[in-house]
Amino acid sequence: MELYRFRVLLYYLVVRELKGRYKSSVLGFLWTLLNPLLMMLVFTVVFTVILPNYAVPQYPIFLLCGLLPWNYFSASVIGSIHSVVGNANLVKKVYFPREILPIATVLAQLINFLLALLVLFALLLIFRMPLSPRWWMLPLVILLHTCFTIGLALILSAVNVYYRDTMMIMDVVIMAWFFLTPVFYPLDVLPRSYEVLGFSLNVHRLMYILNPMASLINTYRDLLYLGTYTEMDFFLRTAVTSLGVLALGYWIFVRLSPNFGEEV
Amino acid sequence: MYIRNDRPAPGAPVVDVRHVSKRFRLRRGEGRSFQDAFINLFHRRRRSRGESHFWPLRDVSFQVYPNEALGIIGPNGSGKSTLLKMLAGILEPTEGTILVNGRISALLELGAGFHPDLTGRENIFLNGSMYGLGRGEIRARLDDIIEFSELGRFIDMPIKHYSSGMYVRLGFAVAIHTDPDLLLVDEVLAVGDAAFQNKCMRAIYEFRRRGGTLILVSHDLGTIQAVCDRVIWYEEGAIQAMGEPTQVVMEYLNHVALREEDPAPEEAASSVPAESPVPENHRWGTRRVQITRVELCDDTGTPRRVFVTGAPMQIRVHYRAPHPIEDPVFGVAIHHQNGIHLTGPNTDLSGLTLPTLQGEGQVVYRIPALPLLAGDYTVSVAVHNRADTEMYDYHDRAYPFRIAPGQNRERYGLITLGGSWEVPTGPADACTPELAAKERLVG
Repeated sequence: MELYRFRVLLYYLVVRELKGRYKSSVLGFLWTLLNPLLMMLVFTVVFTVILPNYAVPQYPIFLLCGLLPWNYFSASVIGSIHSVVGNANLVKKVYFPREILPIATVLAQLINFLLALLVLFALLLIFRMPLSPRWWMLPLVILLHTCFTIGLALILSAVNVYYRDTMMIMDVVIMAWFFLTPVFYPLDVLPRSYEVLGFSLNVHRLMYILNPMASLINTYRDLLYLGTYTEMDFFLRTAVTSLGVLALGYWIFVRLSPNFGEEV
Repeated sequence: MYIRNDRPAPGAPVVDVRHVSKRFRLRRGEGRSFQDAFINLFHRRRRSRGESHFWPLRDVSFQVYPNEALGIIGPNGSGKSTLLKMLAGILEPTEGTILVNGRISALLELGAGFHPDLTGRENIFLNGSMYGLGRGEIRARLDDIIEFSELGRFIDMPIKHYSSGMYVRLGFAVAIHTDPDLLLVDEVLAVGDAAFQNKCMRAIYEFRRRGGTLILVSHDLGTIQAVCDRVIWYEEGAIQAMGEPTQVVMEYLNHVALREEDPAPEEAASSVPAESPVPENHRWGTRRVQITRVELCDDTGTPRRVFVTGAPMQIRVHYRAPHPIEDPVFGVAIHHQNGIHLTGPNTDLSGLTLPTLQGEGQVVYRIPALPLLAGDYTVSVAVHNRADTEMYDYHDRAYPFRIAPGQNRERYGLITLGGSWEVPTGPADACTPELAAKERLVG
């Protein structure tokens, strides 16, 4: 596979992305660890002091289990949309498999995510949370999460070459998606069923079917917060969705990428 | 379609271009936003489609075989670079197929594939990775690349501080050291100084000696002829000529010269101007004899603007004498573009006595083999009386022509003496004094 031949380029692009992010910031790399802690602080204050709506025990852990995967996802998607267009000088002058560009953005975010998970693990120890007996599934979940994210990144970065509005639209979509995903609230706060035009909809079920991020975050929570088993059939459905999105994204990208050289 | 195959069958062409066309949108940015796309829904059918596109390539086909060196020449904007970018896989053909067998290194633009904030050394790794090399492979070549680039201590400086010459040195050093099967070079070498250009040429010879294939785009026709086995003259979206370098370059230069002189050569050929179009400040004389037309022709009598060193040339001077003129003298002169007066023969100096002129006629000066080297020259013509007291008509440097570098590879000075070299063999003490002197000169 050509991607493998250019793995060194992928490595350099990931390093460049990571280096570029903390360039000329005083704390530099520490931000990777500080950012989730500060975000946790903000959300915890908002939802336990200002708007104490959900009686969730150990809210900071509950929140981080959703927020870290979400941040990984949203930063990857937003960052990758620009990845092809932003590297126009490379795309117009050098031949290499173009899919490296969005993939590098996602992988750089993955490294951030893994480091932030270390913070979460430290907090798990501090709060003395029990570890799930299926903790070994965590790498698998991260892999599926990454596949889903790369799939979406491939689609959006390719479409953005042709329609630069993608960026503006996705800013809003990601925000809406954030609120529609049980990141900072438990799914239980939503009504179980909802009547629309006489039809009774199972909101919880719909959420998992229509929103792969909800399923993924649910799985992270099962493993890290609740310390329970995650149901296998649920996990497999999530896996199929993620791999399906990756395949679709790759297919779309490969079809559109030959023309990037003149379109960027 | 663009296909790259890293493991070609033996004997297969390195590059196989089949019926390739490329279409560009003229209006860039069209349809780039949903707004435009929406507007186009209503306008598309009304706008004529042909106007918004242009085709830098139309139905182009050629092959390049292993170890061949192909040169591509043509004016700016003729689509040469587009063609090269398609060979490199950066642009996709709109129609047709490009098949590339083997690994490519492409040197298309200054600083392409470099990151300005990284140092020269870091950029070697980055750039090498863009050619698909592993870190170990790059590390193994690192010293050679740095040495070749002659960057010395600047190699650890961020390359945004580099000069364009330094960029090119680093770029070429990496490209040639990646051991490609096919090397694409677009003009960039012109940026380097003469010493580095020579070094690049040596590296290219060495690359070809090892079996590498080269495609070179350049405006330096001398280099093209020195390096390439075959040349494509590419213009107006099509291959105008392809074949032996000197021949194609000649054709191209002739075409360029004709176009410079007259943007519409077809019209000019059909109507011969009654009076020669020499500007007044280049012409003087009493006009009792008028020079009406001057043609520079090859030995078949076809007017040309470009000749090669060693080719025959005829200067045909057409005159009109309304009244009889006795004992006239015709002369010509050739100047190099830098002003040097190279020669000035006339009929009197050649011991020729012309009959009395009356009416129209022509005088021809034949040069059996032009001794001039590549460059731009002008011809002056004159007719005056034998005593040189009355100038009838003088056209000063009014007829330009060009000498293209031909088979003759001499390039120092303005003329070739057509001399030959020999190295006498035998014991040195057996040398005659004059042979010994000759050897000293040679040595």
